[in-house]
Amino acid sequence: MAQNQRRFNVTNHQIPIPTLHQSTTNTTGTDTGTSTRASKTASSSDLSILTRFHAGYFRISLALCSQALLWKTLAEPTTDARALSSIVRTIPSFAFILLWSIALLTLLLLCLLYLVRCFLRFRSVRAELAHHVGMNYLFAPWISFLMLLQATPFLQPDNRLCRILWCAFSVPIVVLDVKIYGQWFTQGKRFLSMVANPTSQITVIGNLVGAHVAAQMGWKESAVCMFSLGITHYLVLFVTLYQRFLGSDSLPAMLRPVFFLFIAAPSTASLAWDSISSSFDTGCKMLFFLSLFLFASLVSRPALFKRSMRRFSVAWWAYSFPLTILALAATEYAQDVKGVIPNVLMLVLSVLSVVVTLALMVFTALKTNDILPHDDPFVCYNIARGTTT
Amino acid sequence: MEQTELQVEIPSVLKQTSCQNIKDFDYVDYGNGNNPNPLENAISDKESYGESIAGSKITKLELQEVVIISLPASPSGLHIGQTKLVLHSEKCENTDQNDTKNPYPQLAKQKKFHSQPILVRENGDRKVVHSEAIRDHRFDPFKTWSGRLERQISNLRGKPTQEPDIEAGASQREEIEEAPGVDRYFDALEGPELDTLRATEVSVLPEDEKWPFLLRFPVNAFGICLGVSSQAILWKTLNTSPAMSFLHISPMPNLILWWAALALILFVSFVYLLKIVFYFEAIKREYHHPVRVNFFFAPWIACMFMALAVPPSIAVNLRPFIWYILMTPIFILELKIYGQWMSGGQRRLSKVANPSNHLSIVGNFVGALLGANMGLKEGPIFFFAVGLAHYIVLFVTLYQRLPTNAALPKELHPVFFLFVAAPSVACMAWAKIQGDFDYAARIPYFIALFLYMSLAVRVNFFTGIRFSLAWWAYTFPMTGASIATIKYTMAVTNVVTRSLSVCLSAISTFTVSTLLVYTIVHAFVLRDLFPNDISIAITRKKPKFSKMLSHFRSSSADSKDFDSSISKNSEI
Repeated sequence: MAQNQRRFNVTNHQIPIPTLHQSTTNTTGTDTGTSTRASKTASSSDLSILTRFHAGYFRISLALCSQALLWKTLAEPTTDARALSSIVRTIPSFAFILLWSIALLTLLLLCLLYLVRCFLRFRSVRAELAHHVGMNYLFAPWISFLMLLQATPFLQPDNRLCRILWCAFSVPIVVLDVKIYGQWFTQGKRFLSMVANPTSQITVIGNLVGAHVAAQMGWKESAVCMFSLGITHYLVLFVTLYQRFLGSDSLPAMLRPVFFLFIAAPSTASLAWDSISSSFDTGCKMLFFLSLFLFASLVSRPALFKRSMRRFSVAWWAYSFPLTILALAATEYAQDVKGVIPNVLMLVLSVLSVVVTLALMVFTALKTNDILPHDDPFVCYNIARGTTT
Repeated sequence: MEQTELQVEIPSVLKQTSCQNIKDFDYVDYGNGNNPNPLENAISDKESYGESIAGSKITKLELQEVVIISLPASPSGLHIGQTKLVLHSEKCENTDQNDTKNPYPQLAKQKKFHSQPILVRENGDRKVVHSEAIRDHRFDPFKTWSGRLERQISNLRGKPTQEPDIEAGASQREEIEEAPGVDRYFDALEGPELDTLRATEVSVLPEDEKWPFLLRFPVNAFGICLGVSSQAILWKTLNTSPAMSFLHISPMPNLILWWAALALILFVSFVYLLKIVFYFEAIKREYHHPVRVNFFFAPWIACMFMALAVPPSIAVNLRPFIWYILMTPIFILELKIYGQWMSGGQRRLSKVANPSNHLSIVGNFVGALLGANMGLKEGPIFFFAVGLAHYIVLFVTLYQRLPTNAALPKELHPVFFLFVAAPSVACMAWAKIQGDFDYAARIPYFIALFLYMSLAVRVNFFTGIRFSLAWWAYTFPMTGASIATIKYTMAVTNVVTRSLSVCLSAISTFTVSTLLVYTIVHAFVLRDLFPNDISIAITRKKPKFSKMLSHFRSSSADSKDFDSSISKNSEI
């Protein structure tokens, strides 16, 4: 074991002191697979899939589940008849069920893998919980489950089973909320100003998705409760992220696609408030327009993403979910505000999100090797815990 | 001559020779037959490159004697970055990417700047010898395409071409390719508007000479348009709102102010357009200045104010296409600037936040107000949402007064009035969008009022601050608050609100008139309305000998002191 540790030491050239920046540089290497020294000295067989797997892989399930929800929403009869339904009706309904099943299977597979990892590699999981990027992705499976629940073609929204499942999926979100939001303002090393990074918005999105699904099911109070949790922390987080404190600059270049989460959060808030207030009122519109603006802002800065686009990695999946949520919000907007421009917007955004998701699926199928990193993202924490505990 | 000596020996500090014998030396033969006896300080190369004092002319107070200092190096900051090249030429393997490998051709490429000999007190007149045959190349780096445009134009006009400084142009262009990074602006400048040069810094352009007018014309000048056009809106509101009808204001002030504002906007835009054409590099530097960049929103905001203030006798309903035309540049600028806040490394908000950033936010709210006035629905909500989100961020940041934020002035300054601008315009915009002055509009109104009061009671702290053109931009928040009060009075009409509106309108009108008097005095009597715009002339890199510079600055211009300081510095 000591030998292994030493090998990891050599591999990663890290001083075994857990600091946020060290783990950052480690994640840089892993998420891209470009730490060539690591790949040379430690072959992949030494590290099993479980070690290399981490919660960031739930981006895939997020993307697929949100796609399923988008297709379902587009096919709804309330969508404007002129614009989209003619196209959507040509897609046979079995394609939608196929997508839903694929999403479900992927999600279950990822959950299974993660569960096994919890049991067998508990140290890694603990390290992940402590990492400023990794901890936010623990929300991702629950978000995916909730979206899948809403997109399900089988159950009616106010079905008893639906409600039980909602409770089952929302309780972990609330528990994680308490842990992570509490850390933001109480725990020394993990103050918000130190750990804030764009992936922190996933915590906010979790609350908002929970609120959205609850409102759809008719539970208005729980919906408002989760919505207020989400929106308050979103306000704080938005300001902090925009200020860009020096300490919060610890996002490696390969994770730049997660900047698209800036788009996802206000769109999800817009959707949630839309379901709560049953109409796309001014507040929803403002949130939707904000996310449109942020989308335009990010799309007009391709240089920001250049480095991360050099090599395929699971971080690329971070593009899909925000685009899909934006398309969903645009759909709701077009349903409420009839007109040419909203419909065009909905069309363009939906097509974009479908194309991006399909492209990502193709890439993943072609480059399965790259999708898994070459070394353990949290190994330095393992070493640290090995030496200190 | 100096280049070859560099390797061999250090020449003596002072060398006297006739200026006619030295090539490239500025020698002007005076027709009156008096050959001036130039005392040339052929300072050794190391000192000359190190000192690099721009255009410093030491004038001896005796008649008929002209001191000409002609430094082989370029003036001040332009080539400071290359000085280290010369000083460490022996061991210098890795130089800057800008510098060539062989230092000497570079030196040869360096421009020789000719000092203009000044005859002082000849027969009591000041005779500035500014030979027409020699074009002033000192301002070339700031001109469009480094002065080639001007040469083209003078070619077209038939004037003989002056010396084609191709080599000099190349080296200068290398320097000015990139405007200084934002850190340099914070290091080199101080003051609430970041317009004062620190003592340790040196300007790229000569500081003791009046620069060309276009180069001195800052983008802050659009602040005047903002101030006057917002006054026009105020008088229109006073005229048209039924709650204020007890004052019996005629439509004349609105008409007069509107035409005055129109004339001003046209004039300022025309001059600035000329500056863009002729001094594009200076525009780039202004754009990279953390405070000035916000003033690039000012022309469009001023145009929108004009559209809001249009007198009923001229036009009642404006076409929506005007709104689209005016909002497009604001949208593009916003994408750039807010995107920099979010993702730009150097220009993160925690570092560059300053009260002038409010100008970039107010544009959104003014656009929302104008759009709602025109009857548009979705566009105003869009810009209101964007403005609100970013306003919250900016407001929190400025209120926090982060230690990383160097740009916030420690003392009070009129720039703080910009805090009042955004909430007052936001409340009006929201009231127009919603149709009535509901609670969501009253909340920002009360915030604006509170901020106004907290600044107004501290008005005695504002005294003793140097007047600058940017003050005009700070008057429009006061006017905006008055207009918002009038709108509030329309919703809640009683004695208190009415008197408040009258009071605030009077204050804002009084302030604007005082400012007008100040401006006229400074423009025509004192003639310093447009001082040298130092903030765009900072060097790209920190000058190597900043301590020497500040020491030199503090010493008098007497030649004796100069000599002694030279000898002192030669020992360093």
